[in-house]
Amino acid sequence: MMLSNHFPIPMSMSLNSWSDALSQWHLFGLPLGLVVIAAIPLVFIALYALTYGVYGERKISAFMQDRLGPMEVGKWGILQTLADILKLLQKEDIVNTNADKFLFVIGPGILFVGSFMAFAVLPFGPAFIGADLNVGLFYAIGIVALEVVGILAAGWGSNNKWALYGAIRSVAQIVSYEIPAAIAILCGAMMAGTLSMQQFSILQQGEYGFLHFFLFQNPIAWLPFLIYFIASLAETNRAPFDIPEAESELVAGYFTEYSGMKFAVIFLAEYGSMFMVSAIISVVFLGGWSSPLPNIGSFALNDWTTGPVWGAAWIVLKGFFFIFLQMWLRWTLPRLRVDQLMYVCWKVLTPFAFVAFVLTAVWEIYMK
Amino acid sequence: MSEYFRNIASSTSTILTGMGITLKHFFNAVKRKGDAGIEESGYFGQVDGLVTLQYPREAMPTPDNARYRLHNDIDDCIGCGQCVRACPIECITMETIKVTKADLETCGKTSGGQQKRFWIPVFDIDIAKCMTCGICVSVCPTECLTHTKVSDFTEFNRENMIYHFGNLSRIEADLMRKKAEEEKKAAPAKPAPKAKPAPKPKPAQQPNASSNNE
Amino acid sequence: MQELPKAEHRSVRVTPNGKNRVVIEKDLSSEEMILNMGPQHPSTHGVLRLECKTDGEVVVEAEPYLGYLHRCFEKHAEMVDYPGIVPFVDRMDYLAAMNSEFAYCIAVEKLLDIEIPRRVEFLRVIVAELNRIASHLVAIGTYAIDLGAFTPFLFCFRDREHIMSLLEWASGARMLYNYIWIGGASYDFPKGMQKRIDEFVTYFRPKALELQRLLTENEIFVKRTKGIGMMPADVAVNYGWSGPMLRGSGVEWDLRRNDPYSIYPELDFKVCVPDGKHSEIGDSLSRHLVRAYEMEESLNIIEQCLDKMPAAEEGFNPRAAIPKRIRPKAGEVYGRAENPRGELGFYIVSDGKSTKPVRCKARSSCFVNLSAMKEMSMGQLIPDLVAIIGSIDIVLGEVDR
Repeated sequence: MMLSNHFPIPMSMSLNSWSDALSQWHLFGLPLGLVVIAAIPLVFIALYALTYGVYGERKISAFMQDRLGPMEVGKWGILQTLADILKLLQKEDIVNTNADKFLFVIGPGILFVGSFMAFAVLPFGPAFIGADLNVGLFYAIGIVALEVVGILAAGWGSNNKWALYGAIRSVAQIVSYEIPAAIAILCGAMMAGTLSMQQFSILQQGEYGFLHFFLFQNPIAWLPFLIYFIASLAETNRAPFDIPEAESELVAGYFTEYSGMKFAVIFLAEYGSMFMVSAIISVVFLGGWSSPLPNIGSFALNDWTTGPVWGAAWIVLKGFFFIFLQMWLRWTLPRLRVDQLMYVCWKVLTPFAFVAFVLTAVWEIYMK
Repeated sequence: MSEYFRNIASSTSTILTGMGITLKHFFNAVKRKGDAGIEESGYFGQVDGLVTLQYPREAMPTPDNARYRLHNDIDDCIGCGQCVRACPIECITMETIKVTKADLETCGKTSGGQQKRFWIPVFDIDIAKCMTCGICVSVCPTECLTHTKVSDFTEFNRENMIYHFGNLSRIEADLMRKKAEEEKKAAPAKPAPKAKPAPKPKPAQQPNASSNNE
Repeated sequence: MQELPKAEHRSVRVTPNGKNRVVIEKDLSSEEMILNMGPQHPSTHGVLRLECKTDGEVVVEAEPYLGYLHRCFEKHAEMVDYPGIVPFVDRMDYLAAMNSEFAYCIAVEKLLDIEIPRRVEFLRVIVAELNRIASHLVAIGTYAIDLGAFTPFLFCFRDREHIMSLLEWASGARMLYNYIWIGGASYDFPKGMQKRIDEFVTYFRPKALELQRLLTENEIFVKRTKGIGMMPADVAVNYGWSGPMLRGSGVEWDLRRNDPYSIYPELDFKVCVPDGKHSEIGDSLSRHLVRAYEMEESLNIIEQCLDKMPAAEEGFNPRAAIPKRIRPKAGEVYGRAENPRGELGFYIVSDGKSTKPVRCKARSSCFVNLSAMKEMSMGQLIPDLVAIIGSIDIVLGEVDR
């Protein structure tokens, strides 16, 4: 039997032709194609955020600190996260007597959901995107706000002064940093002229590879890029903005009272949102799934490295690069104090974001 | 206003310096420092890389004068009790039985040639209490009590932390005790002490006599 | 200055040296929360309990509660003979054990009035300064990790491992050495030790510089510690502070210079006092800077000692001058030495008849330094409280004895 009868191999690179074909694929009357489509992001999220994100952080931090990191479980400790998950699964699930049970339980759930709902609009390749909303970027920025509700629920429901402190700080931080983040992303949206995530990637594709990326299309684009990167660190509570989880001050901030699987859920939500902001910034400024390699003469590197699978690989790689950058910063810098954090947001990032906004607008209107 | 920009500039430059240092360490991570001991001359010349050693597969050697677990070579012990008295924690318990004249030959000599005059049925060191200060080792006249390099001696049962070095079984100990008592009883009464000579007049006390150091 | 909540007076008191200090006076007590930091807490350096009355994020008062690590050192000292107290002294300030033993031995030797061989004096000073570096590495590393910088902690401990290996080679133990004995030292340096210490000094200088670039010069670290926990010099002296804390407030007081013991008069070293260019004099950053500079000065001292140390003749016994039975004459003595944390003093009362002291009181440096906690923490934010505790560099073993 011809392979192409059973597996829809894309002959062209037209968007969504691959996933269209896949969704039509039925095996023995079962819509297996749709299952595969749904499974791809889940598998990816599961593999990445749940396993290698944590493992990668431990290994990267270890190498930066002249240590080995996990080495015992599996060769070079690869199975360490699996062991951790198994351990957390079988732990006793403690809920305080005085805790507000409903909020306590629902907190991590909302947090997790808020983090992962943004994955729906991330373009994992030219042929594959969960939901190609024409306001995809707006949706991605907005859905992060759901995390705030989860954090508040977790902090209040713990009935613990320390947790409450952490939750309040975290909420203030996330809500404040959404402003410079949104303005910086808006600069990117101005350059693209659209809010659709898939369009962003298409617009940044071309035969000159990375020169088509918005970061290099505009002399001022580095400023919103930097601002969004810093704001995204604060959105995901990563150092140097990790005051809410300040281990040495508040034990563990808003998730002090959580044990077992609920803790694992919060923990994994953090890694999920780390990837999400990395993906957003690489889609808006660094081309999403388009290849950075240029076509040099007869070496049509760009054409060779573009395609549905290549596209997925590129966005994953770019996401991983920003993850590495986030981890690198975490293990280098001390923590900012709460008021210094707010100072950075309102007095440094926001004015610069406005300046970048105006300059980008000027460039787009007059210079283009 | 300029301070505002200076702040931003200095923050950026110091953050980038810090990031450079950690990145350098990250790229150095392909090398691993060896497990040379401090006594080896190449200790500080080892590669600059990861410093972790995966114990117990890899371990740095312990120096020879390391003070870890105690060991008593009971055959050399003369039962003087200096270690018992010197220990600040009182973790050594010792019981001695005087050797009768007849048994001196059997008891034997220490490896340094000194005649042993005491049987030692009980010589217990509570190694859980021992703080490895080394005072007992320093006062031992025959150097039978020594520190070994063993630092890993965990036990499941707390009673196993009391090390018994005594070399007489209970039956033998009772036998020796009986012999010692018999010898004491059979010993002729001590002769009357010789008349002490008239005490010499003590030398005139120096004003700042330091009679502390004997 | 941070935003203070309403319903209270904020008065500014000007101290004699012109610094402003803010005092919060509340006339009606609004929402005040009592927050308990510790005894189990990642950043209180041991089992210290701080009861903080906070108003939002601002700390109104932070009172330390001690005693969680009390191990009856002074009672033990009355039951054990003089040489046997040395291991107990080790365990009080376990991070700077050599310096603690040094202070104790100086006190007892004053009472005994004996002379120490010259080479032994050099041995003592070298190990004491090595231990000072190790102790400051812990102080800096844990200060960094309190403030959220995880990497300098591990760099500090990696270097401390080298020092511990060196001291293990010299004395036999890695942390609680029992090396400096009354009247001498327990072992002479093994063959090759002097060369190894020299190599260590060469190895460590660039590492100290790296630490400075990674941590001390980092703008975020500076922002977290500059101007925090201000302590004017006169108040510091009144509280009885000593060591890097006092030098951080600008007072040039170092027992190695002002009340010298052993061979320190022959050595050339600077007493590190901050110059106010990188930090405000009296704040946490000054104290941190004093410790960082002191590490370098200790390296200089060690180099000088290695040069000046008399070579060991055949059959040199570091225990030669130790009396057979240590029975000091009746009297009282107070002997002190410069611990990495301050002035550690021992007040020993002897009755002349027994080999055990009648009373041995330890004047602990950290205990006195910690007593000013309430004063330093008024009006600070909670994260600043952590920065202040870290800068005091307490070791609960010495605070509670």
